[in-house]
Amino acid sequence: MSLKKSAAWLVLAVLFCPQAGLNAQEQAPPKGLDFPLTQYTLKNGLHVILSEDESLPLVSVVVAYGVGPIREQPGKSGLAYLMETLMFQGSENISPMQHINYIQRIGGEFNANTAFDKSFFYQTVPSNQLALVLWLESDRMGSLSVTGVNVERAKETVMAEQRQRRSAEPYLDSYFLFDEILFPDFVYGHPLLGSEEDLRNITEEDVRSFYRTYYVPNNAVLCITGSLNVPRTKELIARYFETIPRGNDVPDLPASKPVEGSPIRDTELKESLAPSPAFHFGYRINHLQRGETYGLRILDILMFRGKGSRLYKRLVKKERIALYLSGGIEERRELRAFKVFTISNNPVMSDLCRKAIASEMGKLKTTLVSDAELAKAKDFFKMDYLGRLSTSLLRALFLSDASLSGNRLEDLAAEYAKYLKVTPVTIVSLANKLFTPENAFTLNLVTK
Amino acid sequence: MINPRRMDGMRIFFLACLCVLNFTLAAWSQERFRKSPPIPDPLQELKLPLIESATLSNGLTLAVARKSSSPLLSLQLVVLAGESDSRPDLPGAASLTANMIGRGTDLLSAGEIEQRIESFGGEFAASVSLDVTVFTFNVLEENLDKALEIFSTIVLKASFPEGQMDTVKRTAYYELFEREKDPEYVAKRQLFRMLFKGHPYQTSIFNEDVIKNVGRQDIVAFYDHFYRPNNALFVIAGNMNLSTASRKISHYFNTWTARRIDRSLLPSPPPNDKEQVAFIDLPQAKDATIFLGNVIFPATSSDYFPFIVLNQVLGGTMGSRLFMNLRESKGYASYAFSGADFFKSCGVFWVRAKVTPEVIRDSVQEILKEIGPAAVERVSSFEIEQAKSFLIGNFPLRNEPLTSFSLEVARIKAFNLGEDHWSKYYENIILVNLERVLATAQRFFQPRPVVVIVGNKNLVADYLREFDKVDIYDISGNQRSTINKGVEK
Repeated sequence: MSLKKSAAWLVLAVLFCPQAGLNAQEQAPPKGLDFPLTQYTLKNGLHVILSEDESLPLVSVVVAYGVGPIREQPGKSGLAYLMETLMFQGSENISPMQHINYIQRIGGEFNANTAFDKSFFYQTVPSNQLALVLWLESDRMGSLSVTGVNVERAKETVMAEQRQRRSAEPYLDSYFLFDEILFPDFVYGHPLLGSEEDLRNITEEDVRSFYRTYYVPNNAVLCITGSLNVPRTKELIARYFETIPRGNDVPDLPASKPVEGSPIRDTELKESLAPSPAFHFGYRINHLQRGETYGLRILDILMFRGKGSRLYKRLVKKERIALYLSGGIEERRELRAFKVFTISNNPVMSDLCRKAIASEMGKLKTTLVSDAELAKAKDFFKMDYLGRLSTSLLRALFLSDASLSGNRLEDLAAEYAKYLKVTPVTIVSLANKLFTPENAFTLNLVTK
Repeated sequence: MINPRRMDGMRIFFLACLCVLNFTLAAWSQERFRKSPPIPDPLQELKLPLIESATLSNGLTLAVARKSSSPLLSLQLVVLAGESDSRPDLPGAASLTANMIGRGTDLLSAGEIEQRIESFGGEFAASVSLDVTVFTFNVLEENLDKALEIFSTIVLKASFPEGQMDTVKRTAYYELFEREKDPEYVAKRQLFRMLFKGHPYQTSIFNEDVIKNVGRQDIVAFYDHFYRPNNALFVIAGNMNLSTASRKISHYFNTWTARRIDRSLLPSPPPNDKEQVAFIDLPQAKDATIFLGNVIFPATSSDYFPFIVLNQVLGGTMGSRLFMNLRESKGYASYAFSGADFFKSCGVFWVRAKVTPEVIRDSVQEILKEIGPAAVERVSSFEIEQAKSFLIGNFPLRNEPLTSFSLEVARIKAFNLGEDHWSKYYENIILVNLERVLATAQRFFQPRPVVVIVGNKNLVADYLREFDKVDIYDISGNQRSTINKGVEK
């Protein structure tokens, strides 16, 4: 499909969506979003997304499953992350680690990533090797080797990683604890890595059942971007994926229970092993309206993006009370949190950080953001958003993520325009609505 | 006579059989094609954008590589002076000069500059290697003029305010200090220190203690001497053609004045030819890190392509010989890879591995065996073809991100690598054969590499005694003692 044709196709698609149509008429899809898009679903439920880009002879293939820690049961935490390791331990026709060897031998690159509610498996290879990747991915979707030996080996690998990360990242456990404070429901708040005790308790049958339930075509998206011929690619997809049987219907997720307030808002972690005092600050954000996500993203940039962002400027540059600062909006399906983390030299500085953050959050509620500051945030947004589509792999990850999140890919250009329409009033209203004292939580780390 | 009714029945039966047979055949054939990897399609042609160049009136070289689909632009200003151009008594001067760019002009403070760059979402960074300094500016296409205006201002009107010197030096100090927690960094630095001993490249290898020696006047002198348009090149990657780029860069950089710079090509340092094993104590290290290597030719050499194919066979990936032997077969290492860094005057071939302390000596011996003449002579044509397949496949991947693409163009122009490393890359790899690989290996793999080991001395001391001689260095590269035949003095 030519670029011209695809741009027209995108515009046509948004015209059929009344709300988005208005935006599309006002603004043509910007460069970077005018790529071709083909979507269809196989009989077994596998959703396919294809997007061509002829600039280099390579293709990226992402297989994304709608599964992550959100699907784990109490006592079995870490199962989704364990599956990420197991997916490289071989399948019916591919022996352990052979997947990696096949990809590396042809100069390709591969990786996997487990997020809160999604798991991504991906590779970029020379375009003439597309069939190889489809062969590999379909084999592990259809016939993963789940054996006692494989499971035990993967458990050992994940537990070793847990130990290594805990010793290398002294603040890691405090992040997990703060997540549990902000997301008290186990389904939403337990850590991706799981606990060592839970991992030990995971059985071969647990793994098999998890795999059979969630790593099925009707819970997956296959996205291919790059130098591809659509009819030929469709043929290959049919050959490798069509005969994989559809799984049972994926169980509905338990509805998230909005947690209104909590008796304990400030927690102190005494005798922490962390080398310096640190401080977590956050707001719980329950069930945001769809239109409010645009303003929240821009607000996130205003507070955190760049050295001129509000919190960095105040805490690190001006008052020099934080040695380290990080944060942002975290999404866990319909639940969200606004999180700030600081490390300071001493407890006094840490307390000053708490006050400075509260003061900056207060300013958001009372003072309109200047046009210049808002324009800056929007330019950062454009850089980040278009940057996420700038290579074949990034684009494939972006599209598969958006698709599994239930977003209409045809509306990307219109969605993009909505971020650019955020006004100072949007920011003030959002801040007043979301950043209330009853939604605010802290976790203070006191060193030994 | 055939009963038509019966015939219908037979036909239905026949058709039904055919359907069942077809279905069975289909299922069977599907199972069959899953048994082995598919045959790849023919390799697609690689059409890289042309690198178009022009020289502006003040001597600034401009190179443009067009990527018309990109909404972002990557700009690189390359100054042809790096750490090896710092005075021998002032190591770090090149890095500090680069880090002071953007820290103030006569009219703008560091804060104002940062604010101006961020006001349109721009991203600015500086990096310094042995031979060159690179400033990178990533920007939305629509903000190009704003970017060029501030980019040219901070480079051409840099005022090096004294107040910012302390900040920059403190940051550089802590960055180096932090990096010294990484055993690989410590080991590689020591390897280079030993290989470049007595050569101007040695100036590039320094630790945080020397940063305090560089003063404002040293930085101003370095800037005045080397930051000249006739000693620089400007690379633009993105949706831009040469004529527009020439117009814009001329507009913003035309006040930059040229000056004669005598900067001759440094001779290559000689390869190490004596047995040298060095150890550095890093108390927090749990395993032992081995970094060994030797000096080879620069990337302009005709040996470059056979060499990178050979390197791929030896240690380029997890499927290469070193990894398969030291990790998969012997179980000594958590990883073992080889690679090379190429500079203007030479290259350095190296092997890095993380091993358990008990097998340090065995691991070093295995590595030396794997890169030694006997093993290299056993390289087969099949391995060569596999390595070529990797390199050809990986080339477009490496150059896909806009900044990597732009940096590669900058590297090719700065080191005068020419079309061999760009549009003729595929052909050059395809032309490599077993004979060429063996000839290259014979020339460059004979001398003994320098071996550096980094680990916790309490854990590894007993195993170091297994070597005939190990020189013990501190983290700054000063020799502290020697273990000779198991006895430390």
